[in-house]
Amino acid sequence: MIEARGLTKKYGAKTAVDGVTFTVQPGQVTGFLGPNGAGKSTTMRMIVGLDRPTAGTVTVNGKPYAAHRRPLAEVGALLDAKAVHTGRTARNHLLAMAATHGIPTKRVDEVIDLTGLQPVASKRVGGFSLGMGQRLGIAAALLGDPRTLILDEPVNGLDPEGVLWVRNIARFLASEGRTVFLSSHLMSEVALTADHVLVIGKGRILADAPVSEILDGAERKLVRVRSPQATELAELLKGQNAQVDDIEPGLLEVRGSNAAAVGELAASSKIVLHELTPVASTLEEAYMSLTADSVEYQSEDIAAHAGTRSDLEGSKA
Amino acid sequence: MSATVTAPRGPASGPTVGRTPVQNVTFWRALHSEWIKLWTLRSTWWTLGPTVAVMVGFAFAMALVAQFLGDQMAEAGPEVEAAGAGGIIPGPLVVAFGFETAALVVAVLGSMIITGEYSTGMIRSTFAAVPDRLTAFFAKATVLAGVTAVLTAVSLAIAWAVTYPILDANNSTVDFSDGTQVRQLGGVVLYVVLVALFSLGIGALLRHTAGAIFTVVALFFVVPTIFTGAAAFASDIDWVVWVTKLLPSVAGAQITPTAGAVPDALDPWVGISVLAGYTVLVLAGAATRLKLQDA
Repeated sequence: MIEARGLTKKYGAKTAVDGVTFTVQPGQVTGFLGPNGAGKSTTMRMIVGLDRPTAGTVTVNGKPYAAHRRPLAEVGALLDAKAVHTGRTARNHLLAMAATHGIPTKRVDEVIDLTGLQPVASKRVGGFSLGMGQRLGIAAALLGDPRTLILDEPVNGLDPEGVLWVRNIARFLASEGRTVFLSSHLMSEVALTADHVLVIGKGRILADAPVSEILDGAERKLVRVRSPQATELAELLKGQNAQVDDIEPGLLEVRGSNAAAVGELAASSKIVLHELTPVASTLEEAYMSLTADSVEYQSEDIAAHAGTRSDLEGSKA
Repeated sequence: MSATVTAPRGPASGPTVGRTPVQNVTFWRALHSEWIKLWTLRSTWWTLGPTVAVMVGFAFAMALVAQFLGDQMAEAGPEVEAAGAGGIIPGPLVVAFGFETAALVVAVLGSMIITGEYSTGMIRSTFAAVPDRLTAFFAKATVLAGVTAVLTAVSLAIAWAVTYPILDANNSTVDFSDGTQVRQLGGVVLYVVLVALFSLGIGALLRHTAGAIFTVVALFFVVPTIFTGAAAFASDIDWVVWVTKLLPSVAGAQITPTAGAVPDALDPWVGISVLAGYTVLVLAGAATRLKLQDA
């Protein structure tokens, strides 16, 4: 269980994480979804005590990470596949990590087997592909058999087989009752792996709900209608307070109604329909609509900055 | 009995967790981890090997110089030889002749042991495993100090053995009954260890390999060269003399066989205390930065 209360991180004037409050429950995979730069990695670094919060608190299994006497048994974290000395072999890296908690060599070989690192275990990490680096990071996270796993962009750089492996291991670990907190900027990945999702944008939590609820809640209620009498149908629909967009001659997109209502209206007015399609939203669309504001806000900022800069240049000239 | 077996394993073990034996993090475990980390990097061997080679090689070369000078004096006649009895170059100076160069190599190791973790990102793994950063840092410092001490002592022993036949023939072997000579050789070990720790502190403060090595080399080798030169010509300018004798390398070296290279030098134990003081300051600064700043 991870609990963040008003967690804030500022870098000078820039606020990376802005007073987020959330709870990550055990026994399920929680996705942490947001565009790059939304504050996912910063939040995760604060959870394991690498970055100091500007304000607020975050605890893991009831205590701040650093207060645990066996932190690797509480939290296994893949924060950055590059958090490894490039000059050391994968196995030696794991042995050094294991030594801090008196974890036996047997367990080191176990996680090497589990993550498929055997062929490269005695090679120096400097020559690793991104995928092998990710596997090593996951191996290190699993060393202490932790109750909570934090995986920052775990599928980054993995081949399809590796992506599937991460998905399965995340689901398996959660099924054992562990807390699995996994970040991604790919909504499709989260939709496939997570039960619950936290959406973050510009340092703020935009949604905290089961994946299914996010899909329903932000659904575009849209019906696509094709008809030779489209203009006539559009008038009738507008009379019933539906929102109608003319996409092209003979093709309408109707919001605030549904396929049944549109079909019945057309039949009663003897309007011929060539197509009547309810369009379901995808998690991707839900995510875009949730993060749209934060993205928009960002571009406004850039525009404002650009304005200031040209003003300065103007005054210099 | 069955109660013991079926009893819950306490809040630390989750539903199916606890098959892997995991112990509390202690200073000794952090030390063990740092020990593994030190010996599993090639850069350790690249720096420690040359340290021994420099110490032994310089000593052997210096012994040959002593031999040559001894021969010259023998040719000059028995009176001169008698006057120079005991050797022109004292035994400890021959045996420890390479220590300042060796200290330079050890400084590189001391810096890289921490800057290497920052440049590769390893430091985040280190602090995730040992969240008490001072435990991690002082475990690193302890391993570095121990290894450096043993390495310097072993180098001195090899240098002593290699040069013994030549020095013996010239009647200038190390006299282990002479307290000053023993202190000078022990002082060499102390000096090299302090340089290593000082470099570790600078490395942790700067978090940058090239910057740390440059700083240490400048402080220990470039600045002293300038000031000892200046002090030799300007021994009447007070501040030049003071700055010179308080420089970390000049102060620290007073306990070693190269003592007295500057006018009005510090007492050996005062000198090494000055170097130790600088080292403590740098380590304290590094510890503060580690504790307060993000990794």
